[in-house]
Amino acid sequence: MLETDKLTKKFKDTLAVDDVSLELRKGESVGLLGPNGAGKSTAIAMISTLLKPSSGDVRLHGKSVLKDPGDMRRVLGVVPQKIALYEELSAYENLKFFGRLYGLSGKKLEQRIGYVLDLVGLADRKKELVKHYSGGMQRRVNLAAAMMHEPEVLIMDEPTVGIDPQSRNHLLETIRRLNREEGMTVLYTSHYMEEVEKLCDRVYIMDHGKVIAQGTKEKLKAILSDQETVWIEFDQSYPELFKKLSEIEGVQHADADERSLKLIIPKGMRLLASLFHEAERHGAQVTNVHVQTPTLEDVFLRLTGRTLRD
Amino acid sequence: MKAVFLLQWRKFYRQPLLVLAMFVLTIIFVSVSAAGGEDEPVFVPVYTESMKQEQALEWVERLNDEKQFAFKWMLPSEARSYVAEGDVPQAVELMEADYRLLVGREDPARLALDSMLRRVYSEELRFENAAQDVPEIRELMDSALSDPVLKLSAGSLQGNGDGDKLQLLFGMTLFFVIYTIMFSLVRIVDEKRTGTWNRMILSPVRKWQMYFGHLGFSFLIGFSQISLIFLLFRYAFGFEMGDRFWLLIAIAACYTFSIVALGLLIISLIAKPQQLSAVIPIVATGMAMVGGAFWPIELVTNEVLLTVSKVLPITYGLEALTSVAVYGNGLPSVATSLVMLLGFGGICTAIGIRLLEWRSVS
Ligand SMILES: Nc1ncnc2c1ncn2[C@@H]1O[C@H](COP(=O)(O)OP(=O)(O)O)[C@@H](O)[C@H]1O
Ligand SMILES: [Mg+2]
Repeated sequence: MLETDKLTKKFKDTLAVDDVSLELRKGESVGLLGPNGAGKSTAIAMISTLLKPSSGDVRLHGKSVLKDPGDMRRVLGVVPQKIALYEELSAYENLKFFGRLYGLSGKKLEQRIGYVLDLVGLADRKKELVKHYSGGMQRRVNLAAAMMHEPEVLIMDEPTVGIDPQSRNHLLETIRRLNREEGMTVLYTSHYMEEVEKLCDRVYIMDHGKVIAQGTKEKLKAILSDQETVWIEFDQSYPELFKKLSEIEGVQHADADERSLKLIIPKGMRLLASLFHEAERHGAQVTNVHVQTPTLEDVFLRLTGRTLRD
Repeated sequence: MKAVFLLQWRKFYRQPLLVLAMFVLTIIFVSVSAAGGEDEPVFVPVYTESMKQEQALEWVERLNDEKQFAFKWMLPSEARSYVAEGDVPQAVELMEADYRLLVGREDPARLALDSMLRRVYSEELRFENAAQDVPEIRELMDSALSDPVLKLSAGSLQGNGDGDKLQLLFGMTLFFVIYTIMFSLVRIVDEKRTGTWNRMILSPVRKWQMYFGHLGFSFLIGFSQISLIFLLFRYAFGFEMGDRFWLLIAIAACYTFSIVALGLLIISLIAKPQQLSAVIPIVATGMAMVGGAFWPIELVTNEVLLTVSKVLPITYGLEALTSVAVYGNGLPSVATSLVMLLGFGGICTAIGIRLLEWRSVS
């Protein structure tokens, strides 16, 4: 129902979004995954008609929305990356205002406010000022405000940045329910791959303004089907040992942390013998070895040589 | 538009402090300063070293006719000790064809005292010169004055008795309301920063409705502030403001419009809220000083400042208010000022909105 065609945005000398073609089908939950600065917010601003593309097109039901953004705006609920609320007002007052903007009034308005407040679980605290809310609660109102006009498509730009795990789970659960039970189409942007992995049927991975991979989660992980991720934990940090292990013949990628090391190796490679041998030589104690199935994070690592958090 | 407009009142209801502060400040400033002006005329000792006593007493009588200061003749030593001990800021020494001010400390009334003395002296000296040719000139003048060919009802520079107090009231009111209006417009900048502006753009509400919702609120809050203060001073404090109160209110409306427009222009030029909170006081104070809110514009003689004052709405606002309230003029005599205010407002609004939109697109 919604697609972008070679969408491009250039700011002075940064190419923020480069030739991006996405597609959203009705009822789908699609993830847009990429590190900070990948161009996700810029892409979303263009899709939601807030920013004019340098070139390319955005279409709703096959019709371009660049000239006449009205249809798109009616269909979309946009949850911005920043918390776009009047913080000196209560949650209730905020929602009432955003409802009024869409011409809601009287009983209908009250009903809708009641519904979205229940949805985000803030019905009993609606009279409190937004500025007195926790970050997580503010994020929930941020979502609720985008739901006031019963949109068909929900576009979310990193809706869980900087919130506590509990609020995060609540929010993710809410979005999942909207998608699964109410048939809401969802475009979910994040740089947390766990979220996208949990929530989305299909994923676009962006980096430096470009879509570098796309498809169902299974398809993306198939990129790594010939590989294994081995995660090794030590009793303390051994920089020299980590270096040595990374250089073992056959290791395709290594990512060292404080006391642990992640290695991507070809399936069937016999790593463990040399691992324990090297550990012995460095006097290191291996406390845990774990062979993982690949995650989207690993896919990103494989595609770009960097982690999402870089 | 209604939703946007009502939202601003909701926010005002939640955070009324700034507006109330401006309202209260105006009242405090005006009533404190006006109370000082309501005392007896300022006492000024007068002495002479060279004149005869009768002649000097005649001069004192002549000076006291002006009713602006209370002159009292005394011995030079007495007058000097008054000044030396700081009981009075200054004394006047009378001479045949001139006067001198014995100055102890700075005093805001000195300018007025000096100009009054100069005026009376030059009048008297002219009389004396003329009297050498026509001895009965003084009698002729007196009878001519009591039976003039043309009767003018306009007052002097001081106008009606409350002239000074009114100038103060108008100046302070128009000054403080600039803050109220401009800080209320900063909300537009805040909305763009937080993203609520984008939420509105995504809704069916039109751009012009968003702007007018905001501008409408700023206008109404500013206009209410001026009107309430005028009402308060007229009915509760008994300020004499002439017979055309409605015209004062109309002038207030035009002035408010021009300041709202100027505020819009300023926020279109300066996008950062922190910079705005520095720029707004500078603009308000600068305009008030040059435009004559702190002292009568008649005291400004610098050509450059006078030229600048010609493009400031506050100049026209004050001119019109004073003309109506102090000199009792009607609509025709303030029409030019009103047109200037409206024109200024129209131009600023047009440029302001254009700039704001141009910036948000690029
Ligand atoms: N208004 C702007 N002007 C100039 N550069 C911008 C602007 N908005 C974003 N960018 C740049 O475009 C790139 C993509 O930014 P953004 O879309 O915010 O990425 P993301 O949301 O994925 O973190 C970044 O390099 C950013 O600095
Ligand atoms: Mg972003």
